[in-house]
Amino acid sequence: MPALMELLRMTQPQASRIFAVFRQDTKNDPHVHVGEVHATDAEMALVLAKEQFARREPCVNLWVVPMSAIAATAYDDADVFEPSTDKSYRFGGSYREQERVMRTKRRDQR
Amino acid sequence: MNLAQSPLGRRDDLRAALAGYLLALADDELILGHRHSEWTGFAPDIESDVALSSVAQEEIGHALLFYERAGDLLGGTPDDLAYGRSPEAFRNAVLLERPNGDWDFSIMRMFLYDRADAVRLDGLVGGPVEPLADLAKTLRREEKYHLLYGEQWLRRLAATPESKQRVQAVLDSAWAEAQGLFDPVEGQDDLVHTGVVRTGSDAQRRLWHGQVGAILESAGLRAPGAVAGRAAAFDGRVGRHTDDLRVLLEEMTSVRRTEPGAKW
Repeated sequence: MPALMELLRMTQPQASRIFAVFRQDTKNDPHVHVGEVHATDAEMALVLAKEQFARREPCVNLWVVPMSAIAATAYDDADVFEPSTDKSYRFGGSYREQERVMRTKRRDQR
Repeated sequence: MNLAQSPLGRRDDLRAALAGYLLALADDELILGHRHSEWTGFAPDIESDVALSSVAQEEIGHALLFYERAGDLLGGTPDDLAYGRSPEAFRNAVLLERPNGDWDFSIMRMFLYDRADAVRLDGLVGGPVEPLADLAKTLRREEKYHLLYGEQWLRRLAATPESKQRVQAVLDSAWAEAQGLFDPVEGQDDLVHTGVVRTGSDAQRRLWHGQVGAILESAGLRAPGAVAGRAAAFDGRVGRHTDDLRVLLEEMTSVRRTEPGAKW
């Protein structure tokens, strides 16, 4: 699995100063990737992420991860996600709809 | 609740002192909030720019709440108090009206001020004037982030030899005026004796000195020693300001003065 920074053609020093930010809306929600901040280190990244990503949305918790720590699939290999035969019976559309409803409910209960 | 109806707000001997103290709190927040806002678009990186702009909005928001309470006692709307007074009527500490200078000065001032503000809010929490005690408690929540932002930036600035030297230099130059954060307003002792403010200004200064000193030391910086005697030339708490405040107010009130009384 390639490192994300290689896919993005970043050097290690560059990638270690960009932090992916994950926000959790309520304690029952998963942490969701919402963007990046530039910072010298993780502690500062958290300080900056709070104002960039938690001032307009509900938030109970933030994670930051240096881009240099992320492994990723390549877009060139995106065909691995394409089924060769009809797999529509696997698509969990109703689960996604349920999640959407539950999410709104959890937010309202905050 | 209107402060003028509270038992202490009804006491003529305390009214003026309490109004002055509230103005000092409000003016500190407004003037520093304005200085912070001058960094919008110019901070060293976009993340810090957005974050400091938020802090500026919050400080000005806190000023509004204190002006409302001061207005209970003095009459006048928050806008009248913020935009309608001459420089000598302002009670902010002189340190806060100084121009931003470089980022190192702005961060150092923010750090020194927010620590002082925390000590001051702590002195109101649990006091007998409920609206003020509640207000202080609420504001501490946002101030927690201001403390964090200033302290973490300060630690980063103190992390390399050249910038450490520069931060030490701005600390040394700001130190005397930082003491002015604890200069009392007229009648402040009476507020302490009646328990409205739970700690006197000298006790607050000592608390602040201890906290600030420990953080500076852990960042590898030296807190200058006690400053002998107060710098008498300027004392914002009694309205003796530098020309920097006049310039600041002229700009801050320029839009309002183009159309006095306009509704927004």
